[in-house]
Amino acid sequence: MHYDHNAFCINNTFYTYYEFSKIVSMIRSVIHDTIDDTEKLIGLVTNDDIETYASIIALWLEGKAYVPVNPETPLERNIKIFELTETKYVIDSSEVSLYKYHKVISSKKRVETEIDLEPKKTSDDQLAYILFTSGTTGTPKGVPITYGNVNGLVSAVEKDTAFNLVSSDKCLQMFELTFDFSVVAYLFPLLHGSCIYTIPKNAIKYFYIFKLINEQKLTVLTMVPSIINYLRPYFDEINAPDVRYCSFGGGALHADIASEWSDCIPNCKIFNYYGPTEYTVYSGYYPYDKDANHKSHNGILSIGVPLYDVEYMVVNEENQEVPTGVSGELCLAGCQLTPGYWRNKERNDYAFFSKKVGEEDRRYYKTGDLCFKDEEGDFMYVGRADFQVKIRGYRVELSEIEFHAKAVSEKINIVAIDILNTLGNSELGLAIESEEFDTDAMFEYMKTKMPAYMIPTHVRFIKELPHSVNGKIDRKALKKLFKTTNN
Amino acid sequence: MNKEEIIEKVNTAFVNVLAHSNFELTDETTANDVDGWESITHMMIISEIEKLFNIKFKLMDLMNMNNVGDLIKTIQSEI
Repeated sequence: MHYDHNAFCINNTFYTYYEFSKIVSMIRSVIHDTIDDTEKLIGLVTNDDIETYASIIALWLEGKAYVPVNPETPLERNIKIFELTETKYVIDSSEVSLYKYHKVISSKKRVETEIDLEPKKTSDDQLAYILFTSGTTGTPKGVPITYGNVNGLVSAVEKDTAFNLVSSDKCLQMFELTFDFSVVAYLFPLLHGSCIYTIPKNAIKYFYIFKLINEQKLTVLTMVPSIINYLRPYFDEINAPDVRYCSFGGGALHADIASEWSDCIPNCKIFNYYGPTEYTVYSGYYPYDKDANHKSHNGILSIGVPLYDVEYMVVNEENQEVPTGVSGELCLAGCQLTPGYWRNKERNDYAFFSKKVGEEDRRYYKTGDLCFKDEEGDFMYVGRADFQVKIRGYRVELSEIEFHAKAVSEKINIVAIDILNTLGNSELGLAIESEEFDTDAMFEYMKTKMPAYMIPTHVRFIKELPHSVNGKIDRKALKKLFKTTNN
Repeated sequence: MNKEEIIEKVNTAFVNVLAHSNFELTDETTANDVDGWESITHMMIISEIEKLFNIKFKLMDLMNMNNVGDLIKTIQSEI
Protein backbone atom coordinates (compact mmCIF):
# COMPACT_ATOMS: atom_id res chain seq x y z
CA MET A 1 0.00 0.00 0.00
CA HIS A 2 0.97 3.63 -0.41
CA TYR A 3 -0.32 4.83 2.95
CA ASP A 4 2.13 7.74 3.29
CA HIS A 5 1.78 8.87 -0.33
CA ASN A 6 -0.57 11.66 -1.26
CA ALA A 7 -3.84 10.45 -2.74
CA PHE A 8 -5.56 13.79 -3.38
CA CYS A 9 -4.84 17.47 -3.61
CA ILE A 10 -8.15 19.31 -3.29
CA ASN A 11 -8.20 23.10 -3.09
CA ASN A 12 -4.53 23.19 -1.95
CA THR A 13 -5.02 20.56 0.78
CA PHE A 14 -3.22 17.23 0.48
CA TYR A 15 -4.67 13.94 1.78
CA THR A 16 -2.53 10.82 2.10
CA TYR A 17 -3.76 7.34 1.22
CA TYR A 18 -3.90 6.68 4.96
CA GLU A 19 -6.22 9.65 5.58
CA PHE A 20 -8.29 8.74 2.53
CA SER A 21 -8.64 5.13 3.73
CA LYS A 22 -9.76 6.37 7.15
CA ILE A 23 -12.51 8.53 5.63
CA VAL A 24 -13.58 5.74 3.24
CA SER A 25 -13.87 3.35 6.20
CA MET A 26 -15.88 5.82 8.28
CA ILE A 27 -18.39 6.47 5.49
CA ARG A 28 -18.50 2.76 4.78
CA SER A 29 -19.41 1.94 8.36
CA VAL A 30 -22.23 4.51 8.33
CA ILE A 31 -23.53 3.07 5.02
CA HIS A 32 -23.34 -0.42 6.50
CA ASP A 33 -25.20 0.61 9.67
CA THR A 34 -27.87 2.79 8.01
CA ILE A 35 -28.73 1.39 4.61
CA ASP A 36 -30.46 -1.91 4.10
CA ASP A 37 -28.51 -4.46 2.08
CA THR A 38 -31.23 -4.59 -0.59
CA GLU A 39 -30.97 -0.84 -1.24
CA LYS A 40 -28.34 -0.66 -4.01
CA LEU A 41 -28.67 2.72 -5.77
CA ILE A 42 -27.45 5.55 -3.58
CA GLY A 43 -27.53 9.24 -4.47
CA LEU A 44 -24.30 11.22 -4.25
CA VAL A 45 -24.03 15.02 -4.29
CA THR A 46 -20.83 15.74 -6.20
CA ASN A 47 -19.06 18.39 -4.17
CA ASP A 48 -15.36 18.89 -4.76
CA ASP A 49 -14.09 17.38 -1.51
CA ILE A 50 -12.38 14.30 -0.09
CA GLU A 51 -15.65 12.96 1.37
CA THR A 52 -17.33 12.77 -2.04
CA TYR A 53 -14.48 10.71 -3.53
CA ALA A 54 -14.35 8.57 -0.38
CA SER A 55 -18.11 7.96 -0.70
CA ILE A 56 -17.68 6.42 -4.16
CA ILE A 57 -15.08 3.96 -2.88
CA ALA A 58 -17.12 3.27 0.28
CA LEU A 59 -20.21 2.49 -1.82
CA TRP A 60 -18.21 0.16 -4.08
CA LEU A 61 -16.69 -1.68 -1.11
CA GLU A 62 -20.27 -2.17 0.14
CA GLY A 63 -21.38 -3.48 -3.27
CA LYS A 64 -23.57 -0.49 -4.05
CA ALA A 65 -23.83 1.96 -6.95
CA TYR A 66 -23.57 5.74 -6.91
CA VAL A 67 -26.09 7.98 -8.65
CA PRO A 68 -24.25 11.30 -8.86
CA VAL A 69 -26.02 14.68 -9.02
CA ASN A 70 -24.23 17.97 -9.54
CA PRO A 71 -25.11 20.55 -6.83
CA GLU A 72 -25.01 23.27 -9.50
CA THR A 73 -27.65 21.59 -11.65
CA PRO A 74 -31.27 22.64 -11.04
CA LEU A 75 -32.61 20.80 -7.97
CA GLU A 76 -35.70 19.76 -9.91
CA ARG A 77 -33.61 17.83 -12.44
CA ASN A 78 -31.61 16.13 -9.70
CA ILE A 79 -34.75 15.10 -7.84
CA LYS A 80 -36.13 13.75 -11.13
CA ILE A 81 -33.01 11.56 -11.43
CA PHE A 82 -33.57 10.17 -7.91
CA GLU A 83 -37.22 9.60 -8.79
CA LEU A 84 -36.31 7.68 -11.96
CA THR A 85 -33.84 5.47 -10.06
CA GLU A 86 -36.06 5.18 -6.95
CA THR A 87 -33.13 6.39 -4.90
CA LYS A 88 -34.07 6.77 -1.23
CA TYR A 89 -30.69 7.56 0.35
CA VAL A 90 -28.44 10.47 -0.58
CA ILE A 91 -24.86 10.91 0.59
CA ASP A 92 -24.19 14.63 0.88
CA SER A 93 -21.15 16.49 2.22
CA SER A 94 -22.88 19.91 1.97
CA GLU A 95 -23.31 21.97 5.16
CA VAL A 96 -27.06 22.00 4.60
CA SER A 97 -28.56 19.35 2.35
CA LEU A 98 -31.29 20.38 -0.10
CA TYR A 99 -32.69 16.87 -0.29
CA LYS A 100 -35.43 17.24 2.32
CA TYR A 101 -37.52 14.32 1.12
CA HIS A 102 -34.68 11.83 1.02
CA LYS A 103 -32.79 10.09 3.80
CA VAL A 104 -29.57 12.11 3.84
CA ILE A 105 -26.28 10.68 5.08
CA SER A 106 -23.83 13.44 5.92
CA SER A 107 -20.37 12.28 4.86
CA LYS A 108 -18.67 15.03 6.86
CA LYS A 109 -19.61 13.34 10.14
CA ARG A 110 -16.63 11.62 11.72
CA VAL A 111 -17.07 8.32 13.56
CA GLU A 112 -14.58 6.01 15.30
CA THR A 113 -13.82 3.02 13.13
CA GLU A 114 -11.05 0.68 12.02
CA ILE A 115 -9.74 0.85 8.45
CA ASP A 116 -11.59 -1.76 6.41
CA LEU A 117 -10.96 -1.89 2.68
CA GLU A 118 -12.05 -5.48 2.12
CA PRO A 119 -14.71 -5.42 -0.62
CA LYS A 120 -17.99 -7.29 -0.20
CA LYS A 121 -18.61 -10.02 -2.72
CA THR A 122 -20.32 -8.67 -5.82
CA SER A 123 -21.35 -10.16 -9.12
CA ASP A 124 -20.49 -8.73 -12.53
CA ASP A 125 -24.08 -7.71 -13.28
CA GLN A 126 -24.44 -5.54 -10.15
CA LEU A 127 -24.40 -1.80 -10.82
CA ALA A 128 -21.39 0.42 -10.01
CA TYR A 129 -22.89 3.75 -11.12
CA ILE A 130 -25.64 5.34 -13.20
CA LEU A 131 -24.97 8.53 -15.14
CA PHE A 132 -27.66 10.66 -16.72
CA THR A 133 -27.19 12.39 -20.04
CA SER A 134 -29.38 14.72 -22.07
CA GLY A 135 -32.51 13.01 -23.44
CA THR A 136 -34.56 13.95 -26.49
CA THR A 137 -37.91 14.40 -24.72
CA GLY A 138 -36.84 16.63 -21.87
CA THR A 139 -36.27 13.71 -19.50
CA PRO A 140 -32.64 12.84 -18.80
CA LYS A 141 -31.50 9.38 -19.96
CA GLY A 142 -29.84 7.00 -17.47
CA VAL A 143 -26.81 4.90 -18.42
CA PRO A 144 -26.20 2.14 -15.84
CA ILE A 145 -22.68 0.71 -15.66
CA THR A 146 -21.99 -2.61 -13.90
CA TYR A 147 -18.99 -3.90 -11.93
CA GLY A 148 -18.38 -6.21 -14.88
CA ASN A 149 -18.25 -3.15 -17.19
CA VAL A 150 -15.78 -1.34 -14.92
CA ASN A 151 -13.61 -4.46 -14.59
CA GLY A 152 -13.65 -4.74 -18.38
CA LEU A 153 -12.40 -1.15 -18.68
CA VAL A 154 -9.63 -1.70 -16.12
CA SER A 155 -8.35 -4.89 -17.75
CA ALA A 156 -8.51 -3.36 -21.25
CA VAL A 157 -6.45 -0.31 -20.20
CA GLU A 158 -4.05 -2.32 -18.01
CA LYS A 159 -3.38 -4.76 -20.86
CA ASP A 160 -2.07 -1.86 -22.88
CA THR A 161 1.56 -1.12 -22.05
CA ALA A 162 1.57 2.34 -23.65
CA PHE A 163 -0.23 3.85 -20.65
CA ASN A 164 1.31 2.88 -17.33
CA LEU A 165 0.84 4.99 -14.21
CA VAL A 166 3.27 4.87 -11.26
CA SER A 167 2.82 6.02 -7.67
CA SER A 168 4.89 9.17 -8.19
CA ASP A 169 2.50 10.40 -10.91
CA LYS A 170 0.51 13.58 -10.33
CA CYS A 171 -2.75 13.36 -12.22
CA LEU A 172 -5.29 15.96 -13.25
CA GLN A 173 -8.98 15.25 -12.45
CA MET A 174 -10.83 18.20 -14.02
CA PHE A 175 -14.23 16.55 -14.49
CA GLU A 176 -17.51 16.89 -12.72
CA LEU A 177 -18.34 13.48 -11.25
CA THR A 178 -21.61 13.31 -13.21
CA PHE A 179 -19.49 13.17 -16.38
CA ASP A 180 -18.22 9.68 -17.34
CA PHE A 181 -14.69 10.86 -18.16
CA SER A 182 -14.22 11.48 -14.40
CA VAL A 183 -14.19 7.71 -13.81
CA VAL A 184 -10.86 7.18 -15.59
CA ALA A 185 -9.45 10.36 -14.05
CA TYR A 186 -9.88 9.09 -10.45
CA LEU A 187 -9.89 5.30 -10.90
CA PHE A 188 -6.52 4.69 -12.59
CA PRO A 189 -4.51 7.01 -10.27
CA LEU A 190 -6.11 5.33 -7.22
CA LEU A 191 -5.26 1.87 -8.58
CA HIS A 192 -1.59 2.86 -8.89
CA GLY A 193 -1.19 4.93 -5.75
CA SER A 194 -0.76 8.18 -7.68
CA CYS A 195 -1.95 11.61 -6.53
CA ILE A 196 -5.14 13.20 -7.95
CA TYR A 197 -5.44 16.98 -8.35
CA THR A 198 -8.99 18.32 -8.60
CA ILE A 199 -10.36 21.69 -9.72
CA PRO A 200 -12.33 23.74 -7.15
CA LYS A 201 -15.86 24.42 -8.39
CA ASN A 202 -15.50 28.22 -8.29
CA ALA A 203 -12.12 28.33 -10.06
CA ILE A 204 -11.66 29.49 -13.66
CA LYS A 205 -10.95 25.96 -14.93
CA TYR A 206 -8.55 26.80 -17.76
CA PHE A 207 -6.20 28.93 -15.71
CA TYR A 208 -6.40 26.68 -12.66
CA ILE A 209 -5.28 23.74 -14.81
CA PHE A 210 -2.36 25.75 -16.10
CA LYS A 211 -1.50 26.77 -12.54
CA LEU A 212 -1.46 23.11 -11.44
CA ILE A 213 0.70 22.11 -14.42
CA ASN A 214 3.05 24.99 -13.75
CA GLU A 215 3.33 24.97 -9.96
CA GLN A 216 2.56 21.36 -8.97
CA LYS A 217 4.33 19.85 -12.00
CA LEU A 218 1.53 17.50 -12.99
CA THR A 219 2.66 14.44 -14.96
CA VAL A 220 -0.63 13.04 -16.29
CA LEU A 221 -3.36 15.10 -17.94
CA THR A 222 -6.82 13.83 -18.89
CA MET A 223 -8.78 16.52 -20.69
CA VAL A 224 -11.47 17.42 -23.17
CA PRO A 225 -10.18 19.19 -26.32
CA SER A 226 -12.02 22.43 -25.44
CA ILE A 227 -9.44 23.05 -22.67
CA ILE A 228 -6.60 23.47 -25.14
CA ASN A 229 -8.87 25.35 -27.57
CA TYR A 230 -9.36 28.03 -24.91
CA LEU A 231 -5.69 28.01 -23.86
CA ARG A 232 -4.48 28.16 -27.46
CA PRO A 233 -3.88 31.95 -27.56
CA TYR A 234 -1.37 31.47 -24.72
CA PHE A 235 0.49 28.35 -25.93
CA ASP A 236 3.72 30.29 -26.41
CA GLU A 237 3.89 30.75 -22.63
CA ILE A 238 3.39 27.07 -21.80
CA ASN A 239 6.32 24.73 -21.38
CA ALA A 240 5.61 21.66 -19.28
CA PRO A 241 8.42 19.09 -19.62
CA ASP A 242 7.13 17.05 -16.63
CA VAL A 243 3.94 15.92 -18.36
CA ARG A 244 4.32 12.24 -19.42
CA TYR A 245 0.83 11.41 -20.64
CA CYS A 246 -1.94 13.56 -22.03
CA SER A 247 -5.23 11.81 -22.79
CA PHE A 248 -7.99 13.52 -24.75
CA GLY A 249 -11.57 12.38 -25.04
CA GLY A 250 -15.16 13.55 -25.04
CA GLY A 251 -14.97 15.34 -28.39
CA ALA A 252 -13.18 15.65 -31.70
CA LEU A 253 -9.47 16.47 -31.41
CA HIS A 254 -8.14 18.48 -34.34
CA ALA A 255 -4.73 17.52 -35.71
CA ASP A 256 -3.43 21.10 -35.98
CA ILE A 257 -4.09 22.02 -32.36
CA ALA A 258 -2.75 18.64 -31.16
CA SER A 259 0.48 19.43 -32.97
CA GLU A 260 0.76 22.92 -31.42
CA TRP A 261 -0.10 21.54 -27.98
CA SER A 262 2.53 18.81 -28.26
CA ASP A 263 5.17 21.56 -28.43
CA CYS A 264 3.99 22.75 -24.98
CA ILE A 265 4.48 19.27 -23.51
CA PRO A 266 7.71 18.13 -25.18
CA ASN A 267 8.18 14.85 -23.24
CA CYS A 268 4.65 13.62 -23.46
CA LYS A 269 2.72 10.82 -25.15
CA ILE A 270 -0.63 12.07 -26.44
CA PHE A 271 -3.60 9.72 -26.70
CA ASN A 272 -6.80 10.51 -28.57
CA TYR A 273 -9.35 8.34 -26.77
CA TYR A 274 -12.76 7.46 -28.07
CA GLY A 275 -15.68 5.94 -26.20
CA PRO A 276 -19.29 6.71 -25.33
CA THR A 277 -20.72 6.73 -21.77
CA GLU A 278 -22.61 3.56 -22.78
CA TYR A 279 -19.28 1.74 -23.27
CA THR A 280 -17.71 2.65 -19.90
CA VAL A 281 -15.61 5.68 -20.87
CA TYR A 282 -12.92 4.33 -23.24
CA SER A 283 -13.27 1.86 -26.10
CA GLY A 284 -10.11 2.71 -28.03
CA TYR A 285 -7.52 5.34 -28.86
CA TYR A 286 -5.11 6.71 -31.42
CA PRO A 287 -1.55 7.43 -30.23
CA TYR A 288 -0.44 10.81 -31.49
CA ASP A 289 3.18 10.80 -32.47
CA LYS A 290 4.44 14.28 -33.17
CA ASP A 291 7.46 13.13 -35.13
CA ALA A 292 5.58 10.74 -37.38
CA ASN A 293 2.84 11.37 -39.88
CA HIS A 294 -0.48 11.22 -38.18
CA LYS A 295 -3.82 10.26 -39.59
CA SER A 296 -6.70 12.64 -39.76
CA HIS A 297 -9.93 13.08 -41.69
CA ASN A 298 -11.20 16.63 -42.36
CA GLY A 299 -8.64 17.81 -39.83
CA ILE A 300 -9.93 15.53 -37.04
CA LEU A 301 -7.44 13.04 -35.63
CA SER A 302 -8.12 9.34 -36.11
CA ILE A 303 -9.70 7.52 -33.16
CA GLY A 304 -7.32 4.60 -33.77
CA VAL A 305 -8.08 0.99 -32.93
CA PRO A 306 -10.24 -0.68 -30.26
CA LEU A 307 -8.77 -1.64 -26.89
CA TYR A 308 -8.26 -5.27 -25.85
CA ASP A 309 -11.45 -7.35 -26.09
CA VAL A 310 -13.41 -4.49 -27.68
CA GLU A 311 -15.17 -5.01 -31.00
CA TYR A 312 -15.82 -2.20 -33.50
CA MET A 313 -18.18 -2.68 -36.44
CA VAL A 314 -19.21 -0.03 -38.98
CA VAL A 315 -22.73 -0.59 -40.32
CA ASN A 316 -25.20 0.82 -42.84
CA GLU A 317 -28.80 1.77 -42.08
CA GLU A 318 -29.82 -1.91 -42.06
CA ASN A 319 -27.21 -2.70 -39.40
CA GLN A 320 -25.09 -4.59 -41.94
CA GLU A 321 -21.33 -4.29 -41.86
CA VAL A 322 -19.85 -2.08 -44.59
CA PRO A 323 -16.47 -2.65 -46.29
CA THR A 324 -13.22 -0.96 -45.33
CA GLY A 325 -13.12 2.69 -46.43
CA VAL A 326 -16.92 3.08 -46.45
CA SER A 327 -18.53 5.37 -43.88
CA GLY A 328 -21.30 4.13 -41.63
CA GLU A 329 -22.40 4.17 -38.01
CA LEU A 330 -19.86 2.83 -35.52
CA CYS A 331 -21.21 0.02 -33.32
CA LEU A 332 -19.53 -1.45 -30.25
CA ALA A 333 -19.67 -4.87 -28.61
CA GLY A 334 -17.82 -6.36 -25.66
CA CYS A 335 -17.81 -6.60 -21.89
CA GLN A 336 -17.72 -2.82 -21.27
CA LEU A 337 -21.17 -2.40 -22.82
CA THR A 338 -23.97 -1.11 -20.56
CA PRO A 339 -26.88 -3.49 -19.96
CA GLY A 340 -29.08 -0.77 -21.57
CA TYR A 341 -30.68 2.58 -20.77
CA TRP A 342 -32.40 2.76 -17.42
CA ARG A 343 -36.04 1.67 -17.85
CA ASN A 344 -36.28 2.99 -21.40
CA LYS A 345 -37.43 0.24 -23.72
CA GLU A 346 -38.09 2.52 -26.66
CA ARG A 347 -34.57 3.94 -26.59
CA ASN A 348 -33.05 0.49 -26.04
CA ASP A 349 -34.88 -0.96 -29.03
CA TYR A 350 -33.48 1.89 -31.09
CA ALA A 351 -29.87 1.95 -29.87
CA PHE A 352 -29.03 -1.74 -29.44
CA PHE A 353 -29.26 -4.72 -31.77
CA SER A 354 -28.15 -8.33 -31.67
CA LYS A 355 -26.28 -10.29 -34.27
CA LYS A 356 -25.33 -13.93 -34.46
CA VAL A 357 -21.57 -14.38 -34.34
CA GLY A 358 -20.84 -18.13 -34.50
CA GLU A 359 -23.00 -19.62 -31.77
CA GLU A 360 -23.20 -16.42 -29.80
CA ASP A 361 -25.92 -13.76 -29.93
CA ARG A 362 -23.75 -10.67 -29.66
CA ARG A 363 -25.21 -7.35 -28.56
CA TYR A 364 -24.10 -4.13 -30.30
CA TYR A 365 -24.58 -0.49 -29.36
CA LYS A 366 -25.12 2.08 -32.11
CA THR A 367 -23.01 5.08 -31.13
CA GLY A 368 -24.56 7.62 -33.50
CA ASP A 369 -21.01 8.43 -34.64
CA LEU A 370 -20.20 8.13 -38.33
CA CYS A 371 -16.81 6.51 -38.98
CA PHE A 372 -14.87 4.45 -41.48
CA LYS A 373 -12.00 2.02 -41.17
CA ASP A 374 -8.89 2.63 -43.26
CA GLU A 375 -6.66 0.03 -44.95
CA GLU A 376 -4.41 -0.26 -41.89
CA GLY A 377 -7.29 -0.85 -39.51
CA ASP A 378 -7.43 2.63 -37.96
CA PHE A 379 -10.86 4.16 -37.50
CA MET A 380 -11.53 7.69 -38.72
CA TYR A 381 -14.20 9.94 -37.24
CA VAL A 382 -16.54 11.56 -39.77
CA GLY A 383 -19.34 13.21 -37.75
CA ARG A 384 -22.63 12.65 -35.95
CA ALA A 385 -25.60 10.82 -37.44
CA ASP A 386 -28.16 12.70 -35.34
CA PHE A 387 -28.84 16.00 -33.58
CA GLN A 388 -26.60 15.31 -30.64
CA VAL A 389 -23.75 17.78 -30.12
CA LYS A 390 -20.84 18.03 -27.72
CA ILE A 391 -20.59 21.13 -25.58
CA ARG A 392 -17.39 21.21 -23.51
CA GLY A 393 -17.38 17.42 -23.62
CA TYR A 394 -20.97 17.04 -22.48
CA ARG A 395 -23.43 15.34 -24.79
CA VAL A 396 -26.38 17.54 -25.54
CA GLU A 397 -29.56 16.65 -27.44
CA LEU A 398 -30.57 19.79 -29.30
CA SER A 399 -34.19 18.67 -29.10
CA GLU A 400 -34.11 18.76 -25.29
CA ILE A 401 -33.16 22.45 -25.41
CA GLU A 402 -35.89 23.13 -27.97
CA PHE A 403 -38.39 21.25 -25.81
CA HIS A 404 -37.75 23.46 -22.77
CA ALA A 405 -37.48 26.69 -24.77
CA LYS A 406 -40.84 26.02 -26.45
CA ALA A 407 -42.52 25.25 -23.12
CA VAL A 408 -42.54 28.97 -22.27
CA SER A 409 -43.27 30.33 -25.71
CA GLU A 410 -46.14 28.39 -27.17
CA LYS A 411 -46.68 28.21 -30.90
CA ILE A 412 -43.31 29.71 -31.73
CA ASN A 413 -40.83 27.71 -33.77
CA ILE A 414 -37.48 27.49 -32.05
CA VAL A 415 -34.39 25.68 -33.26
CA ALA A 416 -31.28 25.02 -31.17
CA ILE A 417 -28.03 24.67 -33.06
CA ASP A 418 -24.36 24.33 -32.29
CA ILE A 419 -22.09 27.05 -33.63
CA LEU A 420 -18.32 27.32 -33.65
CA ASN A 421 -16.76 30.35 -31.98
CA THR A 422 -13.54 31.94 -33.20
CA LEU A 423 -11.43 29.61 -31.03
CA GLY A 424 -13.07 26.55 -32.56
CA ASN A 425 -15.27 25.68 -29.57
CA SER A 426 -18.89 24.67 -29.90
CA GLU A 427 -21.41 27.02 -28.34
CA LEU A 428 -25.19 26.85 -28.38
CA GLY A 429 -27.43 29.18 -30.35
CA LEU A 430 -31.20 29.57 -30.32
CA ALA A 431 -32.98 30.66 -33.52
CA ILE A 432 -36.48 31.96 -32.77
CA GLU A 433 -39.04 32.39 -35.54
CA SER A 434 -40.75 35.55 -34.28
CA GLU A 435 -40.60 39.32 -33.92
CA GLU A 436 -38.09 40.26 -31.26
CA PHE A 437 -39.25 39.80 -27.68
CA ASP A 438 -37.69 39.78 -24.23
CA THR A 439 -36.25 36.28 -23.69
CA ASP A 440 -35.52 36.72 -19.96
CA ALA A 441 -38.51 34.64 -18.85
CA MET A 442 -37.61 31.91 -21.32
CA PHE A 443 -34.02 31.78 -20.10
CA GLU A 444 -35.04 31.87 -16.44
CA TYR A 445 -37.28 28.87 -17.11
CA MET A 446 -34.59 26.97 -19.01
CA LYS A 447 -32.16 27.54 -16.15
CA THR A 448 -34.53 25.75 -13.79
CA LYS A 449 -34.72 22.76 -16.13
CA MET A 450 -31.24 22.23 -17.52
CA PRO A 451 -27.60 22.38 -16.40
CA ALA A 452 -25.61 25.51 -17.27
CA TYR A 453 -23.77 23.94 -20.22
CA MET A 454 -27.13 23.40 -21.97
CA ILE A 455 -28.24 27.05 -21.80
CA PRO A 456 -27.75 28.75 -25.21
CA THR A 457 -25.33 31.68 -25.23
CA HIS A 458 -26.48 33.23 -28.53
CA VAL A 459 -29.98 34.21 -29.65
CA ARG A 460 -31.25 35.31 -33.08
CA PHE A 461 -34.77 36.25 -34.18
CA ILE A 462 -35.76 35.32 -37.68
CA LYS A 463 -38.90 36.01 -39.74
CA GLU A 464 -38.97 32.56 -41.25
CA LEU A 465 -36.81 29.53 -40.54
CA PRO A 466 -34.90 28.40 -43.65
CA HIS A 467 -35.92 25.00 -45.06
CA SER A 468 -34.11 22.73 -47.45
CA VAL A 469 -35.75 21.32 -50.58
CA ASN A 470 -37.08 18.27 -48.79
CA GLY A 471 -38.75 20.40 -46.14
CA LYS A 472 -36.28 19.89 -43.33
CA ILE A 473 -34.98 22.83 -41.37
CA ASP A 474 -31.76 24.02 -43.01
CA ARG A 475 -29.39 24.06 -40.07
CA LYS A 476 -26.42 25.02 -42.21
CA ALA A 477 -28.17 28.22 -43.29
CA LEU A 478 -29.07 28.94 -39.67
CA LYS A 479 -25.45 28.56 -38.60
CA LYS A 480 -24.50 31.22 -41.14
CA LEU A 481 -27.01 33.58 -39.57
CA PHE A 482 -25.17 33.34 -36.26
CA LYS A 483 -21.84 33.92 -37.97
CA THR A 484 -22.78 37.03 -39.91
CA THR A 485 -24.38 38.94 -37.06
CA ASN A 486 -21.97 38.01 -34.32
CA ASN A 487 -22.28 40.06 -31.16
CA MET B 1 -6.86 56.32 -19.63
CA ASN B 2 -7.93 56.78 -16.00
CA LYS B 3 -9.36 54.05 -13.82
CA GLU B 4 -13.00 55.16 -14.28
CA GLU B 5 -12.62 54.94 -18.04
CA ILE B 6 -11.04 51.49 -17.76
CA ILE B 7 -13.86 50.26 -15.52
CA GLU B 8 -16.44 51.62 -17.93
CA LYS B 9 -14.85 49.75 -20.83
CA VAL B 10 -14.50 46.58 -18.76
CA ASN B 11 -18.16 46.95 -17.87
CA THR B 12 -19.01 47.06 -21.58
CA ALA B 13 -17.10 43.81 -22.12
CA PHE B 14 -19.04 42.12 -19.30
CA VAL B 15 -22.39 43.31 -20.67
CA ASN B 16 -21.48 42.18 -24.19
CA VAL B 17 -20.69 38.66 -23.02
CA LEU B 18 -23.17 38.15 -20.19
CA ALA B 19 -26.07 39.97 -21.93
CA HIS B 20 -27.22 41.64 -18.70
CA SER B 21 -26.08 44.52 -16.49
CA ASN B 22 -27.29 43.42 -13.07
CA PHE B 23 -23.89 43.95 -11.45
CA GLU B 24 -21.57 46.62 -10.22
CA LEU B 25 -17.86 46.13 -10.78
CA THR B 26 -15.58 47.17 -7.92
CA ASP B 27 -12.03 46.09 -7.06
CA GLU B 28 -13.40 43.35 -4.79
CA THR B 29 -15.93 41.88 -7.25
CA THR B 30 -15.32 38.18 -8.04
CA ALA B 31 -17.03 35.63 -10.28
CA ASN B 32 -19.24 34.63 -7.32
CA ASP B 33 -20.87 38.09 -7.29
CA VAL B 34 -21.95 38.22 -10.94
CA ASP B 35 -24.65 36.03 -12.45
CA GLY B 36 -23.33 33.98 -15.35
CA TRP B 37 -19.64 34.71 -14.77
CA GLU B 38 -17.99 31.27 -14.81
CA SER B 39 -15.14 29.48 -16.60
CA ILE B 40 -16.44 29.74 -20.17
CA THR B 41 -17.83 33.27 -19.95
CA HIS B 42 -14.61 34.33 -18.22
CA MET B 43 -12.65 33.25 -21.29
CA MET B 44 -15.12 35.14 -23.50
CA ILE B 45 -14.84 38.26 -21.29
CA ILE B 46 -11.04 38.10 -21.37
CA SER B 47 -11.00 37.88 -25.15
CA GLU B 48 -13.58 40.73 -25.37
CA ILE B 49 -11.39 42.92 -23.14
CA GLU B 50 -8.31 42.12 -25.23
CA LYS B 51 -10.29 43.25 -28.28
CA LEU B 52 -11.69 46.46 -26.73
CA PHE B 53 -8.34 47.62 -25.30
CA ASN B 54 -6.29 46.16 -28.12
CA ILE B 55 -3.98 44.36 -25.67
CA LYS B 56 -2.88 40.76 -25.12
CA PHE B 57 -2.81 39.35 -21.60
CA LYS B 58 -0.10 37.04 -20.36
CA LEU B 59 -1.09 33.62 -19.09
CA MET B 60 0.93 34.24 -15.91
CA ASP B 61 -1.20 37.31 -15.14
CA LEU B 62 -4.49 35.60 -16.00
CA MET B 63 -3.55 32.69 -13.75
CA ASN B 64 -3.27 34.93 -10.69
CA MET B 65 -6.29 37.12 -11.32
CA ASN B 66 -8.66 36.77 -8.38
CA ASN B 67 -10.98 39.76 -8.67
CA VAL B 68 -11.86 42.77 -10.81
CA GLY B 69 -9.14 44.80 -9.03
CA ASP B 70 -6.46 42.38 -10.30
CA LEU B 71 -7.98 42.56 -13.77
CA ILE B 72 -7.85 46.37 -13.83
CA LYS B 73 -4.27 46.45 -12.54
CA THR B 74 -3.23 44.07 -15.32
CA ILE B 75 -4.99 46.18 -17.95
CA GLN B 76 -3.24 49.30 -16.60
CA SER B 77 0.14 47.60 -16.96
CA GLU B 78 -0.65 46.56 -20.54
CA ILE B 79 -1.96 49.83 -22.03
